[in-house]
Amino acid sequence: MKTFIKSAVASALLVSFAGLPVIAEANVPLKHDSEYVIDGKIYGMPKAKIYRDDYNGPAVVGDYVTMVPHLAELDYKGNKEHEVRMDVFSQKVEVAPGVSYNAWTFGGSVPGPVLHVREGDRVVFKMKNRSTEEVVITKPFKGASPYFDQIAANQLQKHQPVVAPMPHSMDFHSGTVAANDKWATIAPGETIEFEWIANYAGTYMYHCGTSSVLMHTAMGQYGAVVVSPKEGYPTDKEVDQEYVIVQSEMYLEQMGEDYIYDHSAALARDPSHVVFNGHVSALSENPLKSNAGDRVRIHFLNAGPSGTSSFHVIGAIFDKVWAEGDPRNTWYGMQTVLLGASSSATVEFIVPEEGVYKLVDHEFADAERGAAGALYAGPRKK
Amino acid sequence: MYKWLSVLSMVVAAQAAAEPVIIPAGEYKPAVLLDETVEVVVMPAFKLDAAPVTYAQYLEFVSENEKWQRDNIAAIFHDGNYLKSWPGNEELPAGFESKAVTQVSWFAARAYCDAQSGRLPTLDEWEYASNYYLQQQNLSDKEYAQMLFARNSNPTAYSKQDVDANIEHLEYMHNRVNEWVEDYQLLLTNGDNNDLLAGSCGDSARFMADFGDASYATFFRYQSRSNYRPQSTTSTLGFRCAYDMEK
Ligand SMILES: [Cu+2]
Repeated sequence: MKTFIKSAVASALLVSFAGLPVIAEANVPLKHDSEYVIDGKIYGMPKAKIYRDDYNGPAVVGDYVTMVPHLAELDYKGNKEHEVRMDVFSQKVEVAPGVSYNAWTFGGSVPGPVLHVREGDRVVFKMKNRSTEEVVITKPFKGASPYFDQIAANQLQKHQPVVAPMPHSMDFHSGTVAANDKWATIAPGETIEFEWIANYAGTYMYHCGTSSVLMHTAMGQYGAVVVSPKEGYPTDKEVDQEYVIVQSEMYLEQMGEDYIYDHSAALARDPSHVVFNGHVSALSENPLKSNAGDRVRIHFLNAGPSGTSSFHVIGAIFDKVWAEGDPRNTWYGMQTVLLGASSSATVEFIVPEEGVYKLVDHEFADAERGAAGALYAGPRKK
Repeated sequence: MYKWLSVLSMVVAAQAAAEPVIIPAGEYKPAVLLDETVEVVVMPAFKLDAAPVTYAQYLEFVSENEKWQRDNIAAIFHDGNYLKSWPGNEELPAGFESKAVTQVSWFAARAYCDAQSGRLPTLDEWEYASNYYLQQQNLSDKEYAQMLFARNSNPTAYSKQDVDANIEHLEYMHNRVNEWVEDYQLLLTNGDNNDLLAGSCGDSARFMADFGDASYATFFRYQSRSNYRPQSTTSTLGFRCAYDMEK
């Protein structure tokens, strides 16, 4: 290990002296003079850029960016640099039958898009604050990520563009950077651009960090980044389905025909709805699918903003649980996984037989407010 | 031509706008403590526009001040979207005469008030006036907080409602547009005196005088506005002017 660090540092030095692109060991490409390596992880990203441009292309860009519960397949070997865009803007979304509110969103949905990368990958991220525009996400867009087609195919949230000018920011828990620089708040019309390295494997929350952070997250600004381990999980070859679930609380009150954010309820942690993937019916209108005998993997993130989740699959036992999605944190044979706000776990279970398996937050006050879904299992095929 | 005439008649109407209202001297307890040693702020009397500046009033200003017209404003004074919805330099978007003017930068708002021999209110003046207004209107903390959160949930619907420029008492403080104030960057994020815990995930408890609904609503107004740049223009941010009492 020591040898590797030395050679990586040497490579970094070579970059800064000669300005030549050098690939350090273990496929860790250094890119900027400021970067350095500790334990195979890259630190020292360049400063974020904030600027104005006339961008009006697709609001979500990136080949490995999808809508929950989908996860893009990593069809490349080793590490890669990802160009990812998730613009921030407002959108009217439905969270329960007849209950819609004007959400603040990344990419237009609640939760926002799922980004899938591999441990060690570099993400070059761009985000334009388009809260002064009506941004349409329900039509296919050339150059957009797979997320757009998936949204077009699943209109449960009944997305409608809304103009709600507001400063916002982006905080990726998967990035190790100086937050005061990279997670800076940008005014409407501005774009922020920064890089981060997926240094640790796991499933990470991202959210808006602009004050009131409680309000900004409760208004819908959160989502998941799945960083698959460099060497994979030990069960990779046996997994039949892989899904992403994001749990969150909604704090809404009715005002006339509309629903608005209720800050008192948010402070009191008294949600009106608790949802999987942004809608009380997200996983019952469109249940997860598998077959008897399958090994199902779920990357489960509890986005909060303030509540815990006790995730349980009725009729199954988690064969393996990787706390936070890091393959070094293995638990076995768990009935329920307890997650604090912004915590995650990657769970796997064997689907025992044909039938319907309910997914719940076993904190039943939350389940009764919507935190329930289903996995539908067909007959055994193998 | 007919359209032009009707705009002109609006301008005449705007000139007859009500006098600014007098906000009497007094004390107020800020909901947000910008200086932890100051819990009560003593305010001298001042005058404040009863209503936010309307499109018709703003048209009159740009007609007399060419350099603040949509196509003539200096690039450093706006973000590229200044008066973007106006069809021409001296032509209002149809039906907007009586709405609160928006898409104006802080620079432009200051210039307008200056031309009226006034100025933008300070943050303290605006909040003090807001307290005065809530008392006049007999609005409870809960009603006030709901009004603000409702506007934040759907700001466009509120900004597109008309305002009566001839109204004789303080009005539309919380249910039309967010408003520029002179020292809007005071708090937490963009100013020179940044708080270390501000910015990303900045907590607010250290700045709150109390933790009721009303204080949070007020805090949120401060906080969201303080993240704008002086060049920022949005469709939900307007202003009204303040004036010193005659000596
Ligand atoms: Cu935000």
